[in-house]
Amino acid sequence: MSLPESLTPCTPPLTGMADSVLSEIAERLQVFALSGEETVIDLRSLPMSNADRNDLEVRLGRGEVEIKLYVSGQSDIWETTFAGVWWVRHIDGDGRIAAEEINITSVPDILRAHPDDARAAATRLAGINTKESDDV
Amino acid sequence: MSKPQTIGEMLQEQGVSRRAFLKFTAYLASSMALTPQMAKAMADNLATARRQSVIWLSFQECSGCTESFTRSFSPTLEDLIFNFISLDYNETLMNVSGVAAIEARRKAVEENKGKYILVAEGAIPLDDDGVFSTSAGNTSLAELKELAKDAMAIIAVGSCATFGGIPAALPNPTGAVGIDQIITDKPIINIPGCPPIPEAMTGTIAYILSFGKLPELDHLKRPLIYFGNSIHDRCYRRPFYERGLFAKSFDDEGARKGWCLYEVGCKGPVTYNACATVKWNGGITFPIQSGHGCLGCSEPNFWDKGGFYKPIPAPINTVGKVVAGAAAAGVVAGAVSATIARARKKNAAKNKVKEENQ
Repeated sequence: MSLPESLTPCTPPLTGMADSVLSEIAERLQVFALSGEETVIDLRSLPMSNADRNDLEVRLGRGEVEIKLYVSGQSDIWETTFAGVWWVRHIDGDGRIAAEEINITSVPDILRAHPDDARAAATRLAGINTKESDDV
Repeated sequence: MSKPQTIGEMLQEQGVSRRAFLKFTAYLASSMALTPQMAKAMADNLATARRQSVIWLSFQECSGCTESFTRSFSPTLEDLIFNFISLDYNETLMNVSGVAAIEARRKAVEENKGKYILVAEGAIPLDDDGVFSTSAGNTSLAELKELAKDAMAIIAVGSCATFGGIPAALPNPTGAVGIDQIITDKPIINIPGCPPIPEAMTGTIAYILSFGKLPELDHLKRPLIYFGNSIHDRCYRRPFYERGLFAKSFDDEGARKGWCLYEVGCKGPVTYNACATVKWNGGITFPIQSGHGCLGCSEPNFWDKGGFYKPIPAPINTVGKVVAGAAAAGVVAGAVSATIARARKKNAAKNKVKEENQ
């Protein structure tokens, strides 16, 4: 049984915010191309409807790189059809979007290995090597 | 191997990488409307911080705030916040009870004297020496005074603890008041809402841990990171308000098209909170997105303001109470709420610069 139209949840409409964000991205990409200055735009703190975000996603498109990150839930990261413009979508354990950003950079920060993690990994790897030598 | 000293060391031992920190702080920074660039600094600072002792007291309330708090993040991110804090006492959540619970609280106070955060949920009744709310033979009033003494700061969560809330609604039969009407010699942060946005509670604690200081507050002691903008300011329906497109009833064409709910009583223009951006139930929606106007539950005396479905400019029965500061300006002209909000942020920034120069 379907609900009467008056009782169905509202579908947030297009408000025109995607145009404004697109202009900002274009301007910040110019800056990045000329000076290397990086920018992060937080899409969830802007008064955008879901339709606005979908519109922006379609207009930026998907480029050559797509990455999946499995940390505290999944994250989907892709470079848009505009080099240097990355879409970063963090998804939580329930499959809901927890955060969504546009990163204007060569590589989004979250993809780089942190020195502390690298140090811990080096210690762990050295431990494995020592154990294997002892076993031999 | 030595015992981990910092949150970073502790989580590294559990195999949690810095990428998880970054993901968590990206979410937090977004919920706080901080610049996304702050997420990296927060991740670094959280990694070197120590776990924060938290003692949570429940007074005259419905436990809705605790319920909200435990749903603050998705399952995986939630694990992280519970690693950042040591929830040493919470009557609703802790396993032990009776004498063992009181002993655990005494121990936590002793070990963290002057360092713990006291979270207070619920109003305090003052009539008849506070006899209307007691626990283990002590009145809420006595308990609050005793535990506030050695706290670093107090976070009052929910409309009851901040402004008296429902217990203080007319005729206020128990003489209920908010925490800051009783404790005046400790830093107090008010996080109102019925219930408050869960991320505003956990995020405020994470902010204190990340930056080693309390966040900037507004005139009602609410953190500007969550209460710096009105709901209206960040509402996705705002463009319809600007164009004069309003729903006139809950089932007319305007309502179906998702137009502004101002004329059916939405209190968004005079309500400061982060519902429009952080949203509820894992960021799915918030009342306005679900087709209902904002009730204004994070403002003082929201229950006694004369009707949830009356447009703001209509005469409202504030029963002698005065709508304070920026909110009063918003009543006069909802359209200028954005300007007011920007001014609030600007003033807060100015005050901060002044403080730093002093």
